[in-house]
Amino acid sequence: MFLGCAAGGGLAGYGLAGIPPVRPEITAAAEKLIAEPIVDNFLGLAPLYLVNTLPTLGLTIVLLILIAYFTNRSLNRSLKTDLVPRGIGNLMEAILEALYNMTEGSAGAKWAKTIFMWFATIMIYVLFANLLKLLPGFESIGVLHPAHGEGFAIRELGGGWSYLLPHQVEEGGFILAPFFRGISVDLNFTVSLALIAVVAVQAIGFRALGLGYLKKFFNFGNVFKVPFFGVIDMGMGILELVSEFAKILSFAFRLFGNMFAGVVLVAVASSLIGFISIVPAMLFLFELFVGVIQAFVFGILTMVFMVMATAGHGHEEEHAPEGSQTEVHEL
Amino acid sequence: MEGSIMEAGRYIGAGLAMLGAAGAGVGVGLSALGALGGMARNPDAYGNLLTSMILGIAFSEAIAIYCLVISFLMLFKVV
Repeated sequence: MFLGCAAGGGLAGYGLAGIPPVRPEITAAAEKLIAEPIVDNFLGLAPLYLVNTLPTLGLTIVLLILIAYFTNRSLNRSLKTDLVPRGIGNLMEAILEALYNMTEGSAGAKWAKTIFMWFATIMIYVLFANLLKLLPGFESIGVLHPAHGEGFAIRELGGGWSYLLPHQVEEGGFILAPFFRGISVDLNFTVSLALIAVVAVQAIGFRALGLGYLKKFFNFGNVFKVPFFGVIDMGMGILELVSEFAKILSFAFRLFGNMFAGVVLVAVASSLIGFISIVPAMLFLFELFVGVIQAFVFGILTMVFMVMATAGHGHEEEHAPEGSQTEVHEL
Repeated sequence: MEGSIMEAGRYIGAGLAMLGAAGAGVGVGLSALGALGGMARNPDAYGNLLTSMILGIAFSEAIAIYCLVISFLMLFKVV
């Protein structure tokens, strides 16, 4: 804490008052706000640092809880009066209804409720995580740490605040650790979310098919009946098992990669042509699009994997025409 | 002198990593081709096809994004 105060706050302005934009220090891991760990031995595992994704995580959760609270209040009020949802209650109902219809369209009525919970929760959470990082102040206002190698020169603004100058110095420079960094730009967030999603997929598979779900992975039934195809089935089962682990990786790195690339893209473009501020603004627009799409993709993929887990291995042929029939019917 | 070779290696590596974007470009083009063909044959399916197309494009694009991240990591000496 003292280190942060002693170093003072830093302000890397986006063309603010003639201050040229500075390329922020690009790190794949979240920056530490305080150099010392806040808990030395967290759960007996490792030291816990106050990284700058932690404040953002708190912000996201508080925002989501507030939205849930106000939606609940609005819907309760409409229940007591004339049953017509208004304001935020109406908005959320419309969004969730659209999502529910989408789930029902591909999962069928039986499993739609269970899958919808996971799908909507993950999608809304990731959506807020992705969009919050576009707020002004993210990645730009933070604590200055003295750099060990190359750093940026600073100039005092007064009141303990200073801003970074664009040129790098060999000695006595500073590195900015922003107060806020988007949580989806932290691999810890995306990996934990991917683990939750994939474990939930397995849980739903077991709920739907019981121990028969394991037949998807360990398919030895046909080895003695039809030796050649039986062995192929066995190999396919092992491939399925591997693909479950690959799902975790692809989930995690897809979201992290997109968001991290967005951060770097905006930072590089701003530092190169920041004085024409329309270019970074357009990139922010693109980031908005990517954030929404990636949240959608994460949610949809969870849903699709869950639907596949409930369908089972042998019944896929029976279900496929049924699903396409309902889709045609919807049109 | 050895410092400049390291520098050159970083830039060349970053450029080579972006070769993967070629495949992703083909993928994005193919999914748009399929979706547009479907839309032309059946204009009523526009909404459904658009959603699936964007989903497919996001998957192909993710591959390019992996390459982009790798090249960024090399370029900015992150790892």
